Amino acid sequence: MSTLHVLSHSPFSDTRLDSCLRILGRGDALLLCGDAVYALQQQSSTLEDKTVFALEEDLQARNIECPQWAVAIDYPAFVDLSIQYDKVNSWL
Amino acid sequence: MPKSLLIISRQSPWSGINAKEALDIVLAGGAFDLPIGLLFMDDGVFQLVPEQKAAAVQQKNLTANLQALSLFGVEDLFACGHSLSVRGISPAGLAVDDVEPLSAEDIRTLIDRYDQVITL
Amino acid sequence: MNVLTLDGKNIPLDKDGYLLDLNDWSADVAQALAAQAGIELSPEHWEILQLLRDFYQEFQLSPATRPLIKYTALKLGTDKGNSLHLNRLFNGTPAKLAAKLAGLPKPTNCL
Repeated sequence: MSTLHVLSHSPFSDTRLDSCLRILGRGDALLLCGDAVYALQQQSSTLEDKTVFALEEDLQARNIECPQWAVAIDYPAFVDLSIQYDKVNSWL
Repeated sequence: MPKSLLIISRQSPWSGINAKEALDIVLAGGAFDLPIGLLFMDDGVFQLVPEQKAAAVQQKNLTANLQALSLFGVEDLFACGHSLSVRGISPAGLAVDDVEPLSAEDIRTLIDRYDQVITL
Repeated sequence: MNVLTLDGKNIPLDKDGYLLDLNDWSADVAQALAAQAGIELSPEHWEILQLLRDFYQEFQLSPATRPLIKYTALKLGTDKGNSLHLNRLFNGTPAKLAAKLAGLPKPTNCL
C-alpha cells in the first residue's frame, strides 16, 4: 500500500510536514505545492532520502530551484501520481 | 462493500471549524454505516482533554458531541501517542472512552488499512 | 422569516420549520408543530420527544435515524427502539420530524 501525501503549507510556520514525515511509510511519497515547496529551501533537509515531488509552477513563482533529489512536476503529472498511488492524503 | 474511510483530525476544538468539520464527516459516515475510523493527531488530541468548558467562550461543546460516536456506530478511535505525550496528556482519563494510542509505525499501518484518508 | 404563531406570540423558525431558539419550546409549541405535520401527540410520541431532548442535553446534537433508534432501544427497550415503531409515530421520517417537534435543530447528518 502506498500513499501520496499532499502538502501546501510552509514547513517554517506549520507542523504538517513534521507530522507527515513521522508517519511516512516506505512506499509513500510527498507532493509539495503552494508554500510547502519552501521545504526544498530547508538547510540540512530531512527530505533527501524520501520520494519528493514539487509542483513546477509553485517553484517558479517562488524562484526556488528543484534539488536533484526531488522531481518537479506539472499538473498532468500530479493527476498521474494521484492515480499511481493507492491513496492520496491531502493535509488540508 | 462500501469504501472505508479514515479521518485524521489534527486541530484543537478552539482554532476554527476543522475539528467540528472532521467530526461531522465521521458522524455522517457512521450514520450511513460506512466503515470509518477517527485518528486524533497533533493539536487534535486536545479534543480529548476532559472537563473543558466550551460555554466560557460561548462555543458548542465538542467533547459532548464526541460522546455520541458509539451511537453513530463509530467504534474505531485512535490517538497519536507522540502527539499526546509532547502535550503532556495522559492516555488514561481522556474525555472519550476506548481511544487507542498509536505509535508512528501503528499509524502507518492504520492508514494502509483504509481505502481513503481525509486529514483536517 | 418563518414563524409559528401561538396565542398571539410569534416564535421564529428556520426555513425548514425548526425552532431557532431551543428555549422557545413548550408542550404547546410541540402540539402546534405536530398539528402542522398532521400528527396528534400521544403518550408514545411524548416519550420520544423527551428522549430526544435528553439526547440533545447529553450530546449537544440532533441524532440521525440510526443513532436515534439505538438510543431509544438503550433507554426504552427494543420494543420502541426500532425503525417500525419510530416510523409509524413520525410519518416515516423520525429523525427529522421528531427533532422538529422536540424543538431541536435539524439533524445535520441526515442528508
